[in-house]
Amino acid sequence: MLSSKLTGRNLWIAALVVPPIAFMSLFLVYPILSAFAYAFYEWKGLARGEFIWFENFHRVLFEFPFSERTINAFSHNIFVFFALMVLQNGVGFLLAYCLWRELWGARFHRVAVFLPVVLSTVIVGLLWKLFLHPLFGAVNVSLRGMGLGFLAQPWLGQDSTALMAIIVANAWHMVGFPTLVFLAGMQRIPSEILDAVRMETESEWVKMSKIVWPLVAPSATVVFTLLFVGAFNWFELPYVMGGIDGSPHGATDVLGLYFYRTAFGSMSASAENFGPGSALAVLIFLFIAVVSSVITIRLRKREIQL
Amino acid sequence: MAFGRDGLIQIILIGNSIVMLAPIIIMVISAFKTNAQIFQSPFSLPDFTKVGNLVRVWTETDFIRYLMNSFIVTGSSIALILVLGTMAAYALARYEFRGANLILLFFLAGLTLPLKLAVIPLFIQMRDLGLLDTRFALIFIYVATGLPTTVFILTGFIRSLPNELEDAARMDGASEARIMWAIMLPLVRPAMVIAAIQNVVPIWNDFFFPLIFIQSNDLKTLPQGLTTFMGEFGTDWGVLFSGLTLSALPVIILYIALSRQFVNGMTAGAIK
Amino acid sequence: MKNILLGATLTLATLLGQSASFAADLTFWTWRQEDKAEYEKFFKDFAKTNPGISIKFEAFEATSYNTVLSTALAGGKGPDLMMTRTYGGIESLAGAGYLMPLDKTKVPAVAGFSPAALASETMRSDKVLYAVPAASQTMLVVYNKEIFDKNGITEPKDWAEFIAACEKLKAAGLMPFANGTSTAWQNETIVSALTSSIMGKGFYEDLMAGKTDFNDPRFVTALGKLKEISAYFPDGFIGLDYASAQQLFTSGMAAMFAGGSFEIANFAKQNKDLKLGVFAAPGLKAEDEKLVGLFYDSGFAANAKTAQPEAAVKFLNYAASKEFGQVFANNLNNISAVPGVTFDSPLLAKVADLNKHSIAYMTLVNFRYGEPTGSNLIQAGVQKLLNGQATPAEVGKSMTDGLSAWYAPFKKK
Repeated sequence: MLSSKLTGRNLWIAALVVPPIAFMSLFLVYPILSAFAYAFYEWKGLARGEFIWFENFHRVLFEFPFSERTINAFSHNIFVFFALMVLQNGVGFLLAYCLWRELWGARFHRVAVFLPVVLSTVIVGLLWKLFLHPLFGAVNVSLRGMGLGFLAQPWLGQDSTALMAIIVANAWHMVGFPTLVFLAGMQRIPSEILDAVRMETESEWVKMSKIVWPLVAPSATVVFTLLFVGAFNWFELPYVMGGIDGSPHGATDVLGLYFYRTAFGSMSASAENFGPGSALAVLIFLFIAVVSSVITIRLRKREIQL
Repeated sequence: MAFGRDGLIQIILIGNSIVMLAPIIIMVISAFKTNAQIFQSPFSLPDFTKVGNLVRVWTETDFIRYLMNSFIVTGSSIALILVLGTMAAYALARYEFRGANLILLFFLAGLTLPLKLAVIPLFIQMRDLGLLDTRFALIFIYVATGLPTTVFILTGFIRSLPNELEDAARMDGASEARIMWAIMLPLVRPAMVIAAIQNVVPIWNDFFFPLIFIQSNDLKTLPQGLTTFMGEFGTDWGVLFSGLTLSALPVIILYIALSRQFVNGMTAGAIK
Repeated sequence: MKNILLGATLTLATLLGQSASFAADLTFWTWRQEDKAEYEKFFKDFAKTNPGISIKFEAFEATSYNTVLSTALAGGKGPDLMMTRTYGGIESLAGAGYLMPLDKTKVPAVAGFSPAALASETMRSDKVLYAVPAASQTMLVVYNKEIFDKNGITEPKDWAEFIAACEKLKAAGLMPFANGTSTAWQNETIVSALTSSIMGKGFYEDLMAGKTDFNDPRFVTALGKLKEISAYFPDGFIGLDYASAQQLFTSGMAAMFAGGSFEIANFAKQNKDLKLGVFAAPGLKAEDEKLVGLFYDSGFAANAKTAQPEAAVKFLNYAASKEFGQVFANNLNNISAVPGVTFDSPLLAKVADLNKHSIAYMTLVNFRYGEPTGSNLIQAGVQKLLNGQATPAEVGKSMTDGLSAWYAPFKKK
């Protein structure tokens, strides 16, 4: 009696749990495991050839021209990460701090700051591409209109500005996310603590750095980790704004584009290289997985110490 | 002193809102302009009765088809995510059984896996399943990528529900299925809304997977169709802005109508 | 539902295909979405002489076409017939065994095609032809006739005249060229379109014979002249993408567009009132032979695993026929690769005429078989050159050094 009831219960639980697990295994876990395996084979087009150990990895890491491109793209990802850390997370924190005071109109500003977040990256990319058009884009037209024509630039055409322009578009698109996460963190700070601090100091800076910042640390951990993963998976925005080749001359190339271009080829320049492409995917994945867990663990530790 | 501080904060907030909204406003007003008007005075208000550009997007392109495809794919994905996600979350949250923690961990690990990088094997797998160039390819991918966050959000929420109702029902001899369906699930609805919103935006906006898995024009989703369409109308900026505006509109309206749920939904994974 | 139907149709078609009567449904894939109506007409004509064979047209976005095609072929979901790209672009498909090998017994008419055309669809390793060459493209200068006439400008005979014409246009408040270079591959097309005559036939022959490389002064001079004439591109042209550049030309704001003959059909479609002319950019001196850059851009191939091989071969024979070449040229405004085709359109006739004096669009034709490709190198190099970050000699050197990674003749040095 008891055992049959248990089996019934177990069956019920299994019926609940197995379909979702099956789905995730089939369409998420299995492909990722396969990706690891594929990187060890030689590929002719999409036909699998011989098992070649680490040759694909060796090619993308140490052999010309892949090694050069890998380093170029990787360094851009690092730059993107740090730039967005300031422009997106830094600005987000500041905005959250402003919104937190609940001044008149704060609700409106909260809705406004999050509005771009819901837009598609493709729309954002195409929109900013039109704005940054060298001749007719709103940016250059308004600069000329203000008599600042000398500041008008071919923003997406020169390596000194192209990557930064895409980063700014990204920050515009996503700044609402860290803002509201930080804001939620701030709103959870107990008012007793704040009152106590207000007794001791008038300095906004002390309050922010000594009390608010440490107390929103859990939000910061999440936001930083997500930014890290996002920055190293960056694809859509540079694809739409800079093109698959990372134009001009690789100045906007990042790992996501480079992986796609290597694996699938680019119609206007090169054929597909599936083996090196798979190896790149594995390396990017390992890098993201390792570093993001290290970030999370270290930041979490810091939270506890505080 | 205090006024100065608050004044500064107001200035920052107003300035920021202008920066956030101006591009969207320019996009919308440009949809009503001709090329010449856009190039010469990008910021002037247009004649809003001139809807020629919008009409062209509506009638001369496959915009409606793309829109419908996006609706079908996003809607089915969300429905399936909620069904499967609730099943797993309910089991993990309401029953104690061996391996429960392991399963939760399995779902959490899914949060960190960037499926984009596994697109090559995924493609070959879809080929073997005969799903290439079908909506199912997209739906299954979105379900698999959406499940981790959904299970994560729902498990937390379902755990926090009180035991009393459930216990009482069990005393009355109700079956486990009946308890879940009739008693517990109605209580989970708010969390389901949050989970749905968390998934709607990335799925609606996704560009990468359709790029690879969808080939027929008949099946293209909006973001993918949009890039095709930008090529065709490359010379007419009014039409381009109209296309962008029309594509952005559904999400913008939904967001303005449900901004609180949206914000809760999209930041749910990050705030605990 | 649609799939079940499709599956049923396919099974039915297979069954019918095996019976004596010739009924077949074939699919045809291409990246040329804009040609849909014309192709459907071709397919109808074809069905008239080949009753029972119907062909369904499907087009995909040009930039992702190769990905889509090779993944579909690998997935066994490829089309029966397809438009293929050329050179390095066909090797990845043919090398994986996706394409039906063609020879004179299958498609006898290919014997009459020019060697350059056949080479574009032949795999180098097995010397086998895998597609019927469809069209050639010519890299040249397209110009707005009305603007030229209004400003009293004629097709330039030497470089000095070319520059003088640009000056005149600039002084008249027009943009001499519409070209922009933020789209990477536009940096490659302008080299061939503007400087083939400066490089000269001798350079190309020496290059192919392994006697010289891209450090050659003839190539370096050509890049120097490219830099010189880029002064007449629009302000901020390095940030101008391909679509915007086309727009400047079709809207009549710019007088010339340096690019491929494939632009002509598109320009005419965007602005029907545009009166177009074409010329080969001149060499340094009037007596230098005026050359255009030539390449074959497409071909028709059959899936190696098609369920309807006979029907597919029939279509390929049709595609190699003069009859098809002629309607292809007339209706699509393309230079058909089929020998003996004549051109109704004076513009096309002019292009065909210019093709008599040509060198290959070499970075595409000869240097896309390994990594880094000549295209990768020249696109990045010219982008740097035009941004003022590299000299012509540095670009030539970077190309030679880069290609030496896989191109045997450069390796020895």
